[in-house]
Amino acid sequence: MSSTAARHGVADPGTEQRSAPEETEDSAVRTERPWNVVVWNDPVNLMSYVTYVFQKLFGYSRAKATKLMLDVHTRGRAVVTSGPRERAELDVMRLHRHGLWATMERPG
Amino acid sequence: MSLWRRRLRSAGDGSFEVRLPRDERALLGRLPAELDELLGRLAETSSPVPEALRRLFPVAYPTDPVAEENFAQIARGEVLRAHREALGVLAETASATRLTSEQLAGWLAALNELRLVLGTALGVSEESVPPAPADPSFGQWALYGYLSLLVEDVVAALSGQLPPPVPGADEAVPEDSWGEPPGGLRWDGTPVPKGP
Repeated sequence: MSSTAARHGVADPGTEQRSAPEETEDSAVRTERPWNVVVWNDPVNLMSYVTYVFQKLFGYSRAKATKLMLDVHTRGRAVVTSGPRERAELDVMRLHRHGLWATMERPG
Repeated sequence: MSLWRRRLRSAGDGSFEVRLPRDERALLGRLPAELDELLGRLAETSSPVPEALRRLFPVAYPTDPVAEENFAQIARGEVLRAHREALGVLAETASATRLTSEQLAGWLAALNELRLVLGTALGVSEESVPPAPADPSFGQWALYGYLSLLVEDVVAALSGQLPPPVPGADEAVPEDSWGEPPGGLRWDGTPVPKGP
């Protein structure tokens, strides 16, 4: 990503601890493992634009959207949403409409 | 002092005032048609997306050709339609002095499309530095820089009118595993450089 303003001094965004959702394997209801939507870094989309798109599409706070944008910028990628396959594909398509490089990923 | 005078500001009633010099309006009225012509040709074929437009149609399943084909069957037409619609909004309202937030959102999408295509043509990377004025590509770099400043203005204006965050949305994002880019390739298809 790029910034038309002065380059940010970026601190390590750190990591949040959160336990993964438990998978339930029931004979009646097989819960599908969720798909992750990953956004990758690219040199064209502006940092402010990416933050704005995350807020607009997913309803994140400015702080959360900024953190995700900085993850993309400094670490190369970030998981921005997660859910059933159809829902994740829809999110990928919305991100593509906004010119962001988003892919589907199923965490192992 | 800033050399860039902001082109947009909130009018206070949900719409936006646009203050653009005439030559910039002429440019913004003209550029969308050039890109739309390329997209129009793409709409009439199912052939692969040409290199120049690749950034407008990213791959969703880089390592699964079958899933990608199924996805692209739906996504390509949908994304193409959205791209052309946004270009149409910019072309039609390039001379407007007042825009609704929907129209301005169309501007933003169109301006970003133009930047993506221009950035691809110029081979923009994180380390790119615009060339000297004598360079043949200087004009295109200047246009790229101009569109970037305009995008910053539009983002600043629209950010001021975002709805409040959705309760609980922030907490729903899973922690990332920080894997390698798909296929070991970066966005432009080049290999990921190996770390130290």
